[in-house]
Amino acid sequence: MDKPNTIESVQPLSGHYSLKKDLRLNAWFMVAAATCLVFDLLIKRHPEWSPLRRALLTLTPLIPGMLYVRDCLHFIRGMDELQRRIQMEAWLFAAMGTLILGTIVNTLNANGVPLGRLDHGFSLVGTFALTFVLWLVGTAIANGRYK
Amino acid sequence: MKNQLRELRALKQWSQGDLADKLCVSRQTINAIETEKYDPSLPLAFKIARLFKQSIEEIFKAGD
Repeated sequence: MDKPNTIESVQPLSGHYSLKKDLRLNAWFMVAAATCLVFDLLIKRHPEWSPLRRALLTLTPLIPGMLYVRDCLHFIRGMDELQRRIQMEAWLFAAMGTLILGTIVNTLNANGVPLGRLDHGFSLVGTFALTFVLWLVGTAIANGRYK
Repeated sequence: MKNQLRELRALKQWSQGDLADKLCVSRQTINAIETEKYDPSLPLAFKIARLFKQSIEEIFKAGD
């Protein structure tokens, strides 16, 4: 029988890292990121392109993105029940944390409190980064609870 | 919930990793059940009971 998937198996330097499992999980993410980067550069270099062409190129990375989501779901289904619970707790922590911090920043902005670089709320990249950091923290907390 | 998993595993002279492989779960799951930090699902409890040829009630007891 196959061993259940664990987060350590896709974390380099964890001691349980598996390149095969990492590629099986993250290959489509890399394709999505690469196409996003290349198409973004192309669109900026060709301001004469029609809106339809721009829209098609902008939305194309959604295809590998959806395939990545499929692989994520497949990976989670391959986890054992405790790992699934840990991930559910970590994602809930990350989602709620992002929502709460986003609300705080937006409310402070709306009330005229100067926040420097956050004067217009979190950027898209900033939101992803915040969710990722909170997911790491959530995973560490949940792992600690069941150690 | 209290359980006899550690004792049963020791009787068979299996490591946590051995038992994890037999049940197709991670070693962390076995450790969390043995230290009573995690209660297994019903399907996993049945798997454990079947592996040790005992009833679920003999292995798992409700805590006070």
